[in-house]
Amino acid sequence: MRPLLTLALLAFLAAAQETDRPRLHPLNPANANLKTGPAVGAKVPDFNAPDQNGKAQTLASLRGPKGLMLVFTRSADW
Amino acid sequence: MVDLNAKYDQFRAKGLGVAIVSYDSVAILKNFGDRKGIRIPMLSDPESKIIRAFGILNENIDKTSPVYGIPFPGTYILDTKGVVKSKYFHDDYTERFSAGSVLTREFGATGLESTKVDTPHVTLSYTASDASFAPGRRLTLILDVDFKPKMHVYAPGIESGYIPIDWTMTKAKGWEALAAEYPASHKVHLPVIDETVPVYDKHIRITRDIIVGQAAEVGPSLAPDRTLTVEGTFRYQACDDKECYVPRSIPLQWKFKVGEMETERVPAEMRRRP
Repeated sequence: MRPLLTLALLAFLAAAQETDRPRLHPLNPANANLKTGPAVGAKVPDFNAPDQNGKAQTLASLRGPKGLMLVFTRSADW
Repeated sequence: MVDLNAKYDQFRAKGLGVAIVSYDSVAILKNFGDRKGIRIPMLSDPESKIIRAFGILNENIDKTSPVYGIPFPGTYILDTKGVVKSKYFHDDYTERFSAGSVLTREFGATGLESTKVDTPHVTLSYTASDASFAPGRRLTLILDVDFKPKMHVYAPGIESGYIPIDWTMTKAKGWEALAAEYPASHKVHLPVIDETVPVYDKHIRITRDIIVGQAAEVGPSLAPDRTLTVEGTFRYQACDDKECYVPRSIPLQWKFKVGEMETERVPAEMRRRP
């Protein structure tokens, strides 16, 4: 556990130094190793998952004529 | 999600579908969606399969925690083939791009009312990506400068001796301003001074993001009606083909409504996190 924590802290410090700007609060260690997924220009993986009405949705069923805005969020409950 | 839902039609009008993914159960999403009148499809990914396939699982969280399974929050704009055109993630995941900021960055127009200031040299119109938002949002301030005929100003980066335009923000607690994003200038040879210098003329748009803090951070800066006032100054020295005029400083002021944090939850038996 300890080496992992140290690694996380180091990554956190590296991330904190990346952007040189004033901050409202120090970066929380929970922000360490931030991953942002597929790069610009890359194709994202397709999926099949139910929406709030139980309807199965895929990239194709969700997209509009110009594409799709896909938002990942923490939780609708907390 | 409530912020985004309010702008759902604006994204759809631009041809984009919108969908939200979280680790919540269908029951939680249904309950939340009904309470808040959410029309956007909210996909249930309780085993974080989609979140993992995208490679954005937050692994800083202990595996035994009821919170384990959440993603680093962010937004992708995909083309019709599923290729990422742009994405919006933040190095501090408690600070999210507002729906309006994404809309502004993708499509320019905000549809919100502008404040106009007219001087003998320029007309300023300024607005923002959002009029109201929840705490912990990153939004965009927008400053349009229309120059009167023959008028120009110097662009930032010009050698000393000239006064470039400068947009500063008043220091305040509860929110922070990021650097202003100036458009590219063009070089013009000015016969009056016989020099080639970077200038702006006709019309320019300058934007700058501000990050509004969490509820506890922004709270003390709010008026009793939850109005947040954000102030800055636009300084310029205008010149025409004959002379340069006395520099001017124009005060800028934005007013926002900052919403309360969501505290209402789904019924206890439905909760994933107690």
